[in-house]
Amino acid sequence: MEDSEIIRLFFERSEQAIGELDKKYGAAATKTAANILHDRLDVEECVNDTYLGVWNSIPPHRPNPLVSYVCRITRNLAVSKLRSNAAVKRNSNFDLVLEELEDFIPSGADVETDYAYKELLEVIDRFLSTLNYDDRFLFVRRYWYADSVKDIAAMMNQRDARISLRLFRLREKLRIILKKEGLLV
Amino acid sequence: MKRELISQALNGMDDRFISEAASFRPEAIQETPERIVHMKKKRIVSIALAAALVLALGIVAYAAYFSMNQRVPDATETFRINWEEHPSGYLEWHDAKLAITFPDTAESKEIEFRPGWLPEELASLKSDAWLGRLTAEQLADKYPNMTASQPMLIETYYMSMFNDGGALLLLYYTPENIIEEHWDEQGVDVMRFHATEVLPANDRRPEQTLEQDIILMSNPEAGWVVRLAGEAGMDTLVKVAKNLEIRETGNVLTYNDFIDHYTFMDGGVG
Repeated sequence: MEDSEIIRLFFERSEQAIGELDKKYGAAATKTAANILHDRLDVEECVNDTYLGVWNSIPPHRPNPLVSYVCRITRNLAVSKLRSNAAVKRNSNFDLVLEELEDFIPSGADVETDYAYKELLEVIDRFLSTLNYDDRFLFVRRYWYADSVKDIAAMMNQRDARISLRLFRLREKLRIILKKEGLLV
Repeated sequence: MKRELISQALNGMDDRFISEAASFRPEAIQETPERIVHMKKKRIVSIALAAALVLALGIVAYAAYFSMNQRVPDATETFRINWEEHPSGYLEWHDAKLAITFPDTAESKEIEFRPGWLPEELASLKSDAWLGRLTAEQLADKYPNMTASQPMLIETYYMSMFNDGGALLLLYYTPENIIEEHWDEQGVDVMRFHATEVLPANDRRPEQTLEQDIILMSNPEAGWVVRLAGEAGMDTLVKVAKNLEIRETGNVLTYNDFIDHYTFMDGGVG
């Protein structure tokens, strides 16, 4: 079913909307949550909360594209769950993913401002615009969807080592841009 | 707090990038015309090489998506190696135990290195000098259990040297489990293994097993390879390798800069 049809069902408050959303983007939402949470029950809860979130926000919203809207809600919920879950270990996959980028970001109170966040976001978006499709896919899958290197290698039909090497080069590229922009001392 | 900032910034990523990456579309990969030509040429060369090997040896060449490919050559495969000490000027070698090949590389960037860390026994070798080769044979007496070669040797090679079927060979030693990995810190592909050679007993000595560890680090972009080998132990060699400072000299080396297009890894002294 087309995204616009699914959104129409949400606007009509038809319960079929949830079923169609699950059919089309359930797998993507589950994978997004599972990359961050790793606990089956937490993942299920997160995906169900995502559907509730979509139900509560459409209408009034009419998101386009729908897939990123759904995955973004899932990711927000999963990160909140991860942070609020006292039992979670620091070495979760999601922490590892953030760790890879952590060295690029200067520490200190000044970066904790809203300004720093916006500036960093702008640089990341600009950086992504300069990449070719497969590098962009690689970066977004690793650092937004939090996929493992192994999973990305399988998706792109390449060896793990090759993916690691490309990610390393992408991080180096980002490091240079952050330095140029004065965000990295 | 840094993590929160990164997480927050990533979360705000533009929608079009997120939806684009929801599934992989190989057809979206765009190659520049130059790259297509290059890839086509490379594919033709690869196919020709593979076909030649199948015909000559009756085996299928093993090709891995890694900057170093390793295969165990057929015992009859001949490698003609320049060898000044032989009257003919070359040596025809059969029964090589391992052949490592690299992607054809037009230009390799020359490098030099210096160890950032060395074990206590070899600490006297530490200096500020940049090197192309480092041998520790003069400190062999610090390792009483050594079998033959030397505690540690560091050498550099260049991928452009091995174009057109050249290879890095193990002639005597037989490798055990070969580990392939990528070291993000140095941005290198790594192949490492323990290797042994059994010398049969004769009237002067009993059977003897020679041992050494070998680490190959390759940088496919710059086209260089560094080998660390010896009997100091794999853990020590790994630590030395990970702490090696490497810099480019500014020189570029091509295929014609090398007389020989084979070299071997067995040598531990000199």
